[in-house]
Formats: sequence, structure tokens, C-alpha cells
Amino acid sequence: MPLQPWMKLLSTDDHLIEPPRLWTDRLPAKYRDAGPRIVEQARGEGQAPAEVWNYEGRIYPYIGLNAVAGKSPEEFGLEPTRYDEMIPGCYDPKARLRDMDLDGVWGALCFPSFPRFAGTIFLDGQDRRLALLCVQAWNDFVMDEWCATAPGRLIPLVILPLWDVDACAAEIRRTAAKGAKAISFPENPVPLGLPSFHTDHWDPVFTAAEETDMPLCLHFGTSGAAPKTAPEAPFAVTITLFATNSMYAAADLLFSPVLHNHPRLKIGLSEGGIGWIPYLLERADGTWERHRFYQNVNQTVRPSDLFHKHFHGCFIDDRFGVEVRHHIGVDKITWECDYPHSDSYWPKSRAYAAEVLADVPDDEVHKIVELNTRRLYNLDA
Amino acid sequence: MSRRPESERSDWTDLDLLTRDEAYGRLQEEIGLTVRRLAELGAGDEAERELLDTRLRALREAAEDLNVR
Repeated sequence: MPLQPWMKLLSTDDHLIEPPRLWTDRLPAKYRDAGPRIVEQARGEGQAPAEVWNYEGRIYPYIGLNAVAGKSPEEFGLEPTRYDEMIPGCYDPKARLRDMDLDGVWGALCFPSFPRFAGTIFLDGQDRRLALLCVQAWNDFVMDEWCATAPGRLIPLVILPLWDVDACAAEIRRTAAKGAKAISFPENPVPLGLPSFHTDHWDPVFTAAEETDMPLCLHFGTSGAAPKTAPEAPFAVTITLFATNSMYAAADLLFSPVLHNHPRLKIGLSEGGIGWIPYLLERADGTWERHRFYQNVNQTVRPSDLFHKHFHGCFIDDRFGVEVRHHIGVDKITWECDYPHSDSYWPKSRAYAAEVLADVPDDEVHKIVELNTRRLYNLDA
Repeated sequence: MSRRPESERSDWTDLDLLTRDEAYGRLQEEIGLTVRRLAELGAGDEAERELLDTRLRALREAAEDLNVR
């Protein structure tokens, strides 16, 4: 059995649901009404009211992803819900640890839910001072409360005030000093109305990430643009194509100045799978060989070399990716659980990982499930 | 900055949460599997039996908590 009992599974992509008082407990009194707070909303006769977020008077009708607690998977949709309809491990760190223990998972890096996976909800903020305090409150919650419940097991990832690049850099340094290990960043800022990777706008962020040695984690979907072929196409088309967002992000960065100007920057492609990587690199190298001469792209470094230097990916159940792992680079692969999403294998993630990795040598398995994550995210053993 | 309505934003419309009912069902399935594995153990498998007994207790406790609101 290549996955040995002593190997600690570390997930580079899990999620948390913000508890109701995250912001009201942390914002200054004058901002508490305008900051995110849970309010009740009628759901129809015979049903308990929904709990929804109210932020500056705007209602965000979901407290966790498109939470569908109590419904069958076939019925999921964008519907409001209540905390008491969720499994407690979504929002209670002690319950999360128990669920991780049941699942055979040692550590987890958790992305936000209400703020969106890269905190882009706060781009909506009319009051920028409040928005900055909200970002800082989320980060402080993650470090002081969520991860403090089990240091070394719950791994702090932080979000940024994306409308102000200098404030982003300051927040990276502030949170790094408090023990943050990773930064969630949009896979593509452009659909959010922000400057692209092909400008120098984000250089202070990338410099701060290099200085603090924290990876930028680009979770798929954080651009706000999901793959969609037609308005009437079933959602299955979008789900099938989700990993293409990670392909877009990788290609975008590989042909941008970012990685040439920031040689120590680490990029994590979160929840995008890994099986597509060898194809994309072959394609990118071929494009570079044939078409670099007349374009404003780096003329000396092959895209695949840049990828192997800067990127890492993760997978839940990408059997093909595991099969072609040497084309990806075993040192560049991490494992993810994706709890509490329903596509996680909880409570048998460990058993499933053992099955997927059954034909992989022990030393490679250890790298994939634990050691790569420790190295990339600076986690002590 | 983007001012598109919520319904057109999508970074979490990818996946749904594990529901209480679904989580309870998965725990019941795992409990059944663990009980069957315990029944298959022989006399010399004490260490494995202890591990599975511990897991079974934890699974049952978690299922019980989810079943009570």
C-alpha cells in the first residue's frame, strides 16, 4: 500500500463557511450595521426563514456557496439556506477537525465562501475603508480563531483588498508576520474590472509574495467568469470545462512578464486538476517556438521551464494526471480534499487517495500528499 | 470595477455543499462498511480490530450528531 499510515494528508483546497458573527465581532461599532451580517429572509409558508448576508444593504442570498443543504444533489441551485441546515464542520473549526480525523486528513488550507474564493466580494464595497476592514477581519478570523484551533493542521490562507495594490502588499506583509502561509488571488483579474497580468500593476503584490515566500493560490472560478458555451447549455458543460479556467490562468501567466520579473513567485492552481498540464505545456512550448519572434513575449525562456519553476497544481481524483505525473513533475503535485463540497470523498478521502495512488511508489506518494505542500507552503513537519 | 449583478458572478457556482442528509448517508455507508470489515477479521488481527473499533465509534458519534438538530 503506497499511502502509508504515517503519511499525513495535507489538502491544498478546502473551504470554510464564515460564521455569522465574523464581521460584527471584529468591525468597529460604526461599521457593524453596514458590514456583512446575517439577516433572516422569509422563504415561504412552513419553512424557517433563510439566513442571508447583508453587506451595505445589499442582500447576498447564500451563506455558503450555492448551499443546498437538505436537498438531493439533483436539486441543487442558488438557494438561500440556514446554518442549522449545514454540517457543523463548515463553520466550526472544532467540528472541522473531527471531520478531518474521520476522513484521515491531517491538514487543510481553506478558501472563503461569502467573500468568494479570492475575496472579490469586497470589490463591491461602496465604502473602501469598510471594505479594507472587512478583508482584514476575515484574515484575522482565519489566523486568530479558525487556524488557531489547530496550528499546523488548519493552514492560514488570506485574501487581499484588490482595489488598492499598495494595500494588498501591506496586507500580505501584515498577515505574513502573523503566520499566514498562502494568498488567494484571482485566476484572472480582468473580468473583475482589474488590470491584467500583462501590466505592471500587480508588481507590488508579487514582490510582497516573493518576500514573504507565500504562494498565490489561483482557485478556478475566481475570475468570476465560468466556462459557458450557450445560455441554454446544461450546467454539465460548465462543470466539465472548469479546469480550462486554470489552463487560461497558466497560459496567461506563462506569456506575461510576471514570472520573468518575479523569479521567486510561487503559483498554485487550486482545484483545477492536473491531467491537462502536459498538453498545455507542449502546446505553449510549440507556440513559443514558432510565434515568439513577432510578439511581445520573453524570447529566452521556454514556457514549460517557467511552469516547472513556478507552478504547482492539485487534484482530488485525477487518475490520468497521476498516470502522467512525471510529465507534470512529481514535485509540483499536491493533493486536495475539497471538503465540505459534495465532490469531496469525505469521510473516506484517505481510502480514496490510497486507491488513486495505488500504483505510485511510496516516496512519490509521500511527496504528493504531504511533502510538496510542506515545502511550497512552508509548513513545519 | 465590475458592477454586474450577483447572479452573473460565478466563482462558487461550481460546487454545492455536502448536505446534512448526504453527510449522514455517507456516514451510514461507512459504518456499514466498517462493520463488515470487522466481521471479516480473524483472531490474529487485534491491532486492526482496535483501529476499526475506534473508527466505528467515531463514525457512529458523528452520525448521531448529524441526525439530531
